[in-house]
Amino acid sequence: MLRQLKLTLFAATLLATGALPASADPANTVAFVPQLIGIPYFNAMEEGGKKAAADLGVEFIYSGPVDTNPVDQLQIVQNLIDQGVGAVSVSVLDASTIAPVVEQAKAKGVKLFTSDSDAPDSGRAVYVAQATDQGLGYAIIDEMVERVGEEATVAIVSGEATASNLNAWIGFMQERAKDKYPKLTLLEPQYAGGAADRAAQIATDLMAANPDLKGIIGVASTTCPGVGQAIETAGKIGSVIGTGYCSPNTARSYLKSGSFGYSVLWDPAKLGYLTVWAGKQLIDGKPFEASVQLPGFDSPTTYDPATGILLLGEPAVFTADNVDQFDF
Amino acid sequence: MTRLLGGREATLAAACLVAALVFAAASPVFLTPGNLLTVLRNSTELLLAALGMTLLLAMGAIDVSIGMAMGLAAIVVGQLLMAGIDPALAGIAGPLAGAALGLVAGAVVAFGKIPAIVATLGLLGVYRAGIFLTLGGAWLSGIPTGLTDLVATPVLGVPPAIVLIGLAYLAVFVLLRRTPFGPHLLAVGNSDEKARLSGIAVTRIRLMTFVVAGALAGLAATFYIATYRNVSMTIGATLPLEAIAAAVLGGTSILGGRCTLVGTVLGVILIRLMQNGLLLVGVPSLWQPVVTGAMLLIVLGLEAGAGSEGLRRLVRRPA
Repeated sequence: MLRQLKLTLFAATLLATGALPASADPANTVAFVPQLIGIPYFNAMEEGGKKAAADLGVEFIYSGPVDTNPVDQLQIVQNLIDQGVGAVSVSVLDASTIAPVVEQAKAKGVKLFTSDSDAPDSGRAVYVAQATDQGLGYAIIDEMVERVGEEATVAIVSGEATASNLNAWIGFMQERAKDKYPKLTLLEPQYAGGAADRAAQIATDLMAANPDLKGIIGVASTTCPGVGQAIETAGKIGSVIGTGYCSPNTARSYLKSGSFGYSVLWDPAKLGYLTVWAGKQLIDGKPFEASVQLPGFDSPTTYDPATGILLLGEPAVFTADNVDQFDF
Repeated sequence: MTRLLGGREATLAAACLVAALVFAAASPVFLTPGNLLTVLRNSTELLLAALGMTLLLAMGAIDVSIGMAMGLAAIVVGQLLMAGIDPALAGIAGPLAGAALGLVAGAVVAFGKIPAIVATLGLLGVYRAGIFLTLGGAWLSGIPTGLTDLVATPVLGVPPAIVLIGLAYLAVFVLLRRTPFGPHLLAVGNSDEKARLSGIAVTRIRLMTFVVAGALAGLAATFYIATYRNVSMTIGATLPLEAIAAAVLGGTSILGGRCTLVGTVLGVILIRLMQNGLLLVGVPSLWQPVVTGAMLLIVLGLEAGAGSEGLRRLVRRPA
């Protein structure tokens, strides 16, 4: 009975993780486990990972849970470790479940590291980070000032008031405005929760209450369409510039209509590339240098030995001109 | 009875007026026609959903899946528009999809003999998963403007949107006050056992009410798409609670048997007026729900102070 169960589990594992080609060397394989398969963001990471694998001459396995279930994700990671792949990277769903697996991986000689979402203090080999909160907060303000000038009033529409990442970004926006652009007026952030329609209502009200408003920043990705739609409906295209942290697919129609001037995020394809590159470095036992320029990257990636973070570089800025080069 | 309901409506109308006066004094923007139109425009989906919720509450039921039903209907309308279907047909698909989803909810409640709150909580989960699976983690965005132009372009000086919403209200009013369906619905809300004994087809009334409420949520979806032209993963998340709040604020009993459509309309307007005005006046975002909540308590409290039959009934009636 138990044997049968194990066999079934093994078969399921092979199906779930994509068995290695017979000719491939497991030790020369980098795996990436996303939080969820089948969504455009992680599909883009997969594409980038494939490209890196081809460039660097390693095998690449992409496998993850079908919903954001930490236990399922953990099982996939464990299966990959059991297969003896060279390196496994994880976009961590639950940081607390990862630490024991790191030990398990070390015992088997597998390099386990994190990418896209970290588990600090878990003993992971490295964290491949997409952007820093500071980088994202500063970039959106810098880009805004470039478009509307320093003497302008800009509103912030956020999602949940309790979301720590959103609040961190807002904190760095305010810091940047205070330190570098003293004449820029950032209005108190408004919170729309997770609702796109509420974000549109808030954006409309903000434009009514502040006739001199020059820009609206949608902090949560759920607020972007609301902000864009509100600017279109109010007929303020050109006089109010919308922006936010949202993917090209979300922002596309607003970038094209002109209600959005730009969108700030990172390129998950590049993040996927960097993930596989980092895995290859780990397999080869090469240390990370403080700064490395990878082919096709706009800015050098940096490594901080103190935190063990390998940073993709400056956030990406999407505009009407380049948005069609991305699909996530 | 009628006099008392009038009392609640008068209280609400006064509350709206007081709020409007305060906001007008504090913000030069508030009383501009553009802003008042914005408030009305922002009330549309909530108004339609709240009318449906009013009928359900009056029947002693509730539907907490109504926001997700609107979301699914919105996906249908959005997909049809993106597929190039005629905007008028796509618009009609909204209420049809909503009615179908309402039928499902009604069938679960009426035939499954499951309490409405439990049944619709279950459906809420199913519908939400349905939204996630259809959207696949992305957004439905870049929906063409056909429907927007259709409902917003004035015909003989009046935007069709206003006519449609007026017709929807009229239809609910006629159904409730001018056909046997209305008294039967209220009878079921008072006591389904007594209603059954007096020969009312309780199951049919239940099904019909859920279908009507679903169709109204579906119509809300049509307006949602016309206005926002996108569907997010979180669409409709706050709709059921706001609809319940508007109906109860308006004077509809959460225990069934009593409702007022005018009260619901006023409840919706008060909720949206507060949200708009507080932002214009510059009340920090985190305090806005506090003020709205306090307002709700004050309106209900004023009536309790006046010795309302409704509230005494709440206390007296066994749960």
